[in-house]
Amino acid sequence: MSVQQLDRELDRLQGLWSDGLSDAYRVYLDSVRHFDADVQPKLALAAALIEVGTRLQGLGGRAAPPTTLLMGDLCLARGSRLLADNAPLAVQVAFARAIESISSAAASETPAPPTRPLLQQSLGATR
Amino acid sequence: MSAARLEFATSRSTEFVDLTERIRDEVGRAGLRNGRVHLQSLHTTVGLAVNENEPLLLRDFQEMLERIAPTGAGYEHDDFTRRIDVALDEPVNGHAHCRQLLLSAFLTLLVEDGELVMGRWQSVFAVELDGPRRRQLAMQLDGDFVRPQRVDLPEALVEVELARQLMVDPEPVAAPMRRLVEAGGKRLRPRLVQLTAGIGPRNDPLRAAELAAAVELLHNATLIHDDYVDESTHRRGRPTVAAAEGPERAIAVGDYYFAKATRLIAEIGNPAVTSAVAEALEAICASQIDDVALRGAYPGDRESYMGVVRGKTASLFAAACASGALLSEAPPEVVGALRRYGDLLGTAFQMADDMVDFSSSSGKPVGLDIRQRVLSLPLIYAADDRVVGPEVRKLLAGTLGDAEVGRVTELVTTSDALPRVRREAQALVEDAVRQIENVELDGLRPVLAGLARAAVDRNS
Repeated sequence: MSVQQLDRELDRLQGLWSDGLSDAYRVYLDSVRHFDADVQPKLALAAALIEVGTRLQGLGGRAAPPTTLLMGDLCLARGSRLLADNAPLAVQVAFARAIESISSAAASETPAPPTRPLLQQSLGATR
Repeated sequence: MSAARLEFATSRSTEFVDLTERIRDEVGRAGLRNGRVHLQSLHTTVGLAVNENEPLLLRDFQEMLERIAPTGAGYEHDDFTRRIDVALDEPVNGHAHCRQLLLSAFLTLLVEDGELVMGRWQSVFAVELDGPRRRQLAMQLDGDFVRPQRVDLPEALVEVELARQLMVDPEPVAAPMRRLVEAGGKRLRPRLVQLTAGIGPRNDPLRAAELAAAVELLHNATLIHDDYVDESTHRRGRPTVAAAEGPERAIAVGDYYFAKATRLIAEIGNPAVTSAVAEALEAICASQIDDVALRGAYPGDRESYMGVVRGKTASLFAAACASGALLSEAPPEVVGALRRYGDLLGTAFQMADDMVDFSSSSGKPVGLDIRQRVLSLPLIYAADDRVVGPEVRKLLAGTLGDAEVGRVTELVTTSDALPRVRREAQALVEDAVRQIENVELDGLRPVLAGLARAAVDRNS
């Protein structure tokens, strides 16, 4: 699936594509090879959106200003919707648990597990 | 306090409609133990009376009314050539108005030990004086309520489920969310989930309560981020998470419950439900961005307002209704009708919320939306108003201190903006109720209609 075909999923977020989202997307593409070809780009984009979204929000660091937070929220919500529509239940649950673990660490002011390996691991969840 | 509308249709020009049993049912449904039922006619040709329901006596009353105010006795009101603004369908009904003057438009009934206090021969009548028509009475019940079990049980299930979920979470995220959840809230979204989850063939109250609690957690997660964005210091009478614990903690708590709620919903194992809620969440976030962007052109216009409200508020109402129905495996046409009902109800609910900002009896500081430059339909209408509009726009363009907020509030309340928004919200609610008129809802239609009307007729 080409970037053009993902256009709808990038609505309002095009500016992020050249600002780290495309790099993250390409990395996650390598983690979704075991899924059907038609859902691979959507799942890779979901993971990339969630990674970029938490970074934009400043989760675990200094709080983002309101408008940036809202952009991060939209990334998370869109990533979550892409997972709801395309991922097996086990992967949806693993992603949610990954965000729970990162945000819980942030709230506790303890070091959070690195996001990317956590999300890559979530893409491999089977139960 | 509980509020509702009593609707009835009449079939004759003069008719005594006995509402005693319906009022008894409403007292029972609301769980009013000791208190009062207030009734108010919403028409100038419908009166209220308490008397004996004996057919010959009712005929006597009718003849008495005819003697005192005979039909067609040359009432000035019926001379349309001398009146201005006469509607095309204006009836010749001077006699009906005069007869209504002999009755009352208001009635208060007492309730003791859960029973209407009525004498042996007493019945409560709405007296139609210019029928046949569809009519409405406003009804309010106040006093001490003991909620009946069939209403209380689903609500209790949600509260237990919320408490159970918060109990297992790490304290740094659970404590702020617990404070927010325990501070109250109307719980409309979970209520809609539970009601609609009883419609289809697969009615499972426990699964419905799990979904309802997850939807409520999701709603609260969005509020936590909203409060940081809006720089709100208080919500539900308590400091916001951002104000009490700082924006970093607020962002983390919001994210945690966003993730947890979506997981709980996914674990219910109904993909259509998961997708319905996920779409709503995306709409909420997209509209939040629009909302903030529009503050640069404050107060904005109606079209932009409707776009934001449909995403920010109505989408979760629609998803709550649809997801409950989907969970119960209701037919697609029922799910669709409920989704439309939720969308219209959510929009009307937000309009009612906007009006609360101008009500001194709401318990919230008046003019908070203006101060925070939150989109508000009354403000949009006041800014468009021919008389007060120029001053409203000028004030909103400048710095908004106490004096300016006070003056804007005064201008809005003296203009036609609030009645206009109320009419619009009520029309949306009636449209919402129409959406569910032609689908099978297993007897839930009156409850959903009542809930929708009560959501708009409120002052808090």
